[in-house]
Amino acid sequence: MVFNTGAALLDAIVLAVVSMDAEGTYGYKITQDVRQVIEISESTLYPVLRRLLKDGCLEVYDMEFGGRNRRYYKITDAGTAQLNLYVCEWQNYAAKITNIFTGRRKS
Amino acid sequence: MNRTEFMNRLERLLWDIPESERREALQYYNDYFDDAGPENEARVIRELGSPAQVAKTIREGMSENGEYTEHGYEDARFRNRQDVTADDPDIVVEKSFERQRRNSPDPWKLLAIFLLCLLLLPIIIPLFLVLLAVPASILIGIIGIVIAAMVAAAALPVAGIVLLAIAFYHLFLTPVAGITLGGIGLVLLAAGILTFLLTIWILKAVFPVCIRTVVAMLRYPLRKAGIVK
Repeated sequence: MVFNTGAALLDAIVLAVVSMDAEGTYGYKITQDVRQVIEISESTLYPVLRRLLKDGCLEVYDMEFGGRNRRYYKITDAGTAQLNLYVCEWQNYAAKITNIFTGRRKS
Repeated sequence: MNRTEFMNRLERLLWDIPESERREALQYYNDYFDDAGPENEARVIRELGSPAQVAKTIREGMSENGEYTEHGYEDARFRNRQDVTADDPDIVVEKSFERQRRNSPDPWKLLAIFLLCLLLLPIIIPLFLVLLAVPASILIGIIGIVIAAMVAAAALPVAGIVLLAIAFYHLFLTPVAGITLGGIGLVLLAAGILTFLLTIWILKAVFPVCIRTVVAMLRYPLRKAGIVK
């Protein structure tokens, strides 16, 4: 990809991906979903999830699936607030960039 | 390498991180393999790279200063301004204090390092002696070579000249033996001159370089420790 994805944007994408499932989602699926949008290696996501967990943006629970316990990640209220902040910032940022690109002046 | 080997290697590489962290990380990657399914096992292993790489990622993710992005490790100290959550300057200051506190050495850790040094003393002292002995023996070896070359440089021309004299004497009695001896004498003389030149070269060019190298080797650990500039 031409443009870098900074730490904040990666956090935002992961939070958004996790928030899409109200019941929560699991590591492999998160990685695959994130990889639909940006190029990251498979080992990148563990530290990001761990940190979001530590920061209280995500929570985990184990649920039985196919005869084993699978770990699910779910967004918390704090995580949702953080995601809203990110989305807001992103919309501002993207709008400004788009304005520049399309040659329109900010009114 | 298959999945079991991969996970075993990863577990061994993470031996020194806290038990809970290790369990979490291993569970994550076990789940990951389970969810990817056996048909994707080889691809996942290839994508993850080596267990050492994964261990490094986990370890770096644990240090509080940095964080992981798609481009690898980033130190948070250099990206505070981008941090959306830390817009409030008070929070930024508070966070950096928190980090400094985390970075200050833990007295228990210091004690552990001290005890470890004490335990390793029987290994460190011989190792240090070996480190001293290696350059010393190289130096002595070079001095030995120089002395040998000097002796050879003196002895070879003398032997050559003596042989030439004998050859001159034999030339009139048994010409063949005389010419042979004379040839050998000239070869020895030539070898002697070459050795002499070699000795001078060693003394002028090689010797100072060797001494400088040994001095540099001895200075290296001191410079590393910041004792000598």
